[in-house]
Amino acid sequence: MSVEKISGGVTLVRVDDIDTDQIFHQSLLTIHDPEEIKPHIFGNLLGYENFRKENHENKIMVVGKNFGKGSTRQQAVTGFIAYKILAIIGESFGPIYYSNAVNSGLLLIEAPGISEFAISDQDTLEVDFVTSTITNTNTGDSLRCKPIPKPVLDIISAGGLLELGKKSK
Amino acid sequence: MTGFTLVEKIVKSHSDVSDEEIYPGNILWIDLDLVTARDYAGPQVIDLFQKNYPGSETFDNDKIIFTPDCYPYGNDPKHAIDQEKIRVFAKEHKIRVTDLGSGIGSHLLFRRGYAKPGDIAFGADSHYNILGALGILGQGAGDVMLAFSIKTGKSWIKIPETIKVVIKGDYKWPTTSKDLALYVLKLLHEYGITGKAVEFYGPIISKLSIEDRVTLCSLITEASGVIGFVPPNDITAEYYKQFNLETKTIVADENANYADELEIDIQDLGLYVACPPHPHNVKPIEEVLGTEIDSIVIGSCTNGTATDIKQAAEVLKNNKTHENLRLGIVPATREDFVELNLDGTMATILEAGGNFFGAGCSTCARGQYGLTGGKTTVTMTTGNRNTQGKIGPGDVYLASPIVAAATAIKGKIAIPEKKGD
Repeated sequence: MSVEKISGGVTLVRVDDIDTDQIFHQSLLTIHDPEEIKPHIFGNLLGYENFRKENHENKIMVVGKNFGKGSTRQQAVTGFIAYKILAIIGESFGPIYYSNAVNSGLLLIEAPGISEFAISDQDTLEVDFVTSTITNTNTGDSLRCKPIPKPVLDIISAGGLLELGKKSK
Repeated sequence: MTGFTLVEKIVKSHSDVSDEEIYPGNILWIDLDLVTARDYAGPQVIDLFQKNYPGSETFDNDKIIFTPDCYPYGNDPKHAIDQEKIRVFAKEHKIRVTDLGSGIGSHLLFRRGYAKPGDIAFGADSHYNILGALGILGQGAGDVMLAFSIKTGKSWIKIPETIKVVIKGDYKWPTTSKDLALYVLKLLHEYGITGKAVEFYGPIISKLSIEDRVTLCSLITEASGVIGFVPPNDITAEYYKQFNLETKTIVADENANYADELEIDIQDLGLYVACPPHPHNVKPIEEVLGTEIDSIVIGSCTNGTATDIKQAAEVLKNNKTHENLRLGIVPATREDFVELNLDGTMATILEAGGNFFGAGCSTCARGQYGLTGGKTTVTMTTGNRNTQGKIGPGDVYLASPIVAAATAIKGKIAIPEKKGD
């Protein structure tokens, strides 16, 4: 993927401290097929039960603080990849979730202040990784995000961590 | 130059980079001492390994363990087949499996001496950072990382900033390390330790037992922290003597680069309960006294050791659990089970109306206990998560084994008055 700039419509999930049991519940952990994971995403997050019915393809999802805190379950990342979500922007992410996402090639963008940044359902966001800037193209407002570390870009560019493992003897 | 924190020292000793590259925020490749996976994640790790690296050997079969602890009883076809996949792969690759009834993987790593201070262990468990209680850099990881790691023996880590937390003061019965852990969780969550490591210091910390250290460190995940360390000391060294393992002294440098230093005064600390719907929603017990509870589970990697369960038994002794309430006990490991049996604790709890379930992760993964009820069932556990809907649709409170025992007798959240006699 291009890692210089992305843009897309938005999926807003502006809730702090969403944990992995709210993203993909523990009772479903024998499910591994991405298409089977999809309908269960946010199935245990009050107010977001209809997430499964909406189209999230090529959207940028905006979340709050500590997104993905909790367990190590990979399904909580795989589900968003199955929806073809471009990237997730949040105030902060659970550290294990961050690593799981990078390893699977899902881009997470840390942007302190995103919770107060005005975005509506109909807006389009553009993220420039060279300047580390998020722009709402409808309002013209911008917000700085943290730069994506180079090793993270390397893993994502390679198509995920498992691809790097193929080069190892 | 500036010295190194504990996490920086451990990372440095497991990578081949220069001192200049050891700083918070930098991402480094590290060599792992131990890679594990449990019954959730394990089968998927194996699938990813076989699909991406067909015909490959693992990096070192002696440094891999499968630790089925979530659902090892395999009492439905899907789980049973997943378990089988682990056993077949492990046999083919000569990998150790801590199978049925062995207990929680993270606990076995120290209870059986599989990992020691200064080591790095990655596993499919977000509470692997409880190993910080022994100076081990334990980290939870997902399927993809673990499949990569069992092939290469490597992982990557973003060096976290470290917050030095000095605990001042002391507490006494019925307050325990769980109340300390809940109180500290509340403060650290408010402060914000997402992606950060913590080192605990203070006179009370250096004399905590291994079990108490584990309880304290087990709630760091709930504040989205990377790990909490209790620096290894003579108590840690003494613990490892049972395995004839000499442990190296590993301490942070005097001039280590801490992002911040906090002092927390816990003199005469009271009892605390985490209230729905988040672990960090911690309140003094007085605010929720009298809340009716239908089901209690004592167990989990936070409070499932023999030491924890004995504390509950001291309160339950010569008492009966309330007629409207069910009490389940899930020891963390087989070793804890044996200990409870040898000194009569099991009989004390059974006579009081409690029930024992096979060793393992307890309600956190449903494998030993299942749901505690429907929408109207209110649960108390000694675990670490009360997220809405996790254990069941009803409310969940988190408390210490002593508070759980007192509550089990009264049928509502209660303060223990005295140890039973």
